[in-house]
Amino acid sequence: VKISIGCDHIVTEIKDHLVEYLKEKGYEVIDNGTYDKVRTHYPIYGKKTAEKVVNGEADLGIVICGTGVGITTSANKVKGIRAALVRDVATAKYAREQLNANVIGMGGRITGIGLMENIIDVFLETEYKETEKNKKWIEKIDGLIEEDSSIGDEHFFDEFLEKWEKGEYPNE
Amino acid sequence: MKIAIGADSAGFELKEHLKKYLSLKGHKVIDKTPENDLDFFESTTRVAKAILANEADRGIAIDEYGAGSFMTACKYKGIICAEVSDEHSAKMTRDHNNASMITMGSGIVGKRLAESIVDAFIKGEYSGGRHQIRVDMLNKMA
Repeated sequence: VKISIGCDHIVTEIKDHLVEYLKEKGYEVIDNGTYDKVRTHYPIYGKKTAEKVVNGEADLGIVICGTGVGITTSANKVKGIRAALVRDVATAKYAREQLNANVIGMGGRITGIGLMENIIDVFLETEYKETEKNKKWIEKIDGLIEEDSSIGDEHFFDEFLEKWEKGEYPNE
Repeated sequence: MKIAIGADSAGFELKEHLKKYLSLKGHKVIDKTPENDLDFFESTTRVAKAILANEADRGIAIDEYGAGSFMTACKYKGIICAEVSDEHSAKMTRDHNNASMITMGSGIVGKRLAESIVDAFIKGEYSGGRHQIRVDMLNKMA
């Protein structure tokens, strides 16, 4: 099983810890960054991590930021992604089993390392149990984004990054 | 404040509870799911559409775990949504993400915690500043 993982600069050391944790367990890991503590923007990493899952380079994804909200929302905005943002094992299990969730999100400032590891273990070990009902839900969720030409577009956020570089966003 | 609320059948009871709680606090609550037989896709879609149509300032969607509603809400362009089971996330998602919606699981969050979460979500204000670039990025996506 291959895992795609991503984070923002608030939780880099937690992501690095989880990369090691997963490797020790025998998983192959694609680390999409960020790799340091330099201020950056969670949608970049949510999108990158999610795209590896959608295009089949990875089987499942893990995303982390401060609360997990920003990065998990950005992952969900990629067609074909079903990401759950969790703070407990029960929801992670349900999301995988019933919604065939392919990304799990957590908040590095919300959930402790022990619980994160437990959530990840269960998420990766649980299998989707297809039923007529949940298959329809999944089709409906996936159908909400009609086509997604932004997949793989590395310049998708350039307009905002240029504005940022020029100091047009307040740096506060 | 105007709050759109909706739930599937599993979340119906918690939705009714929060509706009363928020009304007593003086908020205008718009119940998008008066019926008790919907699935999370339908209930969340109604709340998301109410937000996109500016019928309400904030949206709350409830199902058993909060996960299906979260996946659904995020797919709507212009919706920034948080799946929450704690107050700090509810507060911070207003502050940093300018989220207009939260989802909760009636099987995960008890009534008192749900009250406290919606309080934090409603009171929380977006701080803008450096966070705006990320919000712009999210809104360019789906």
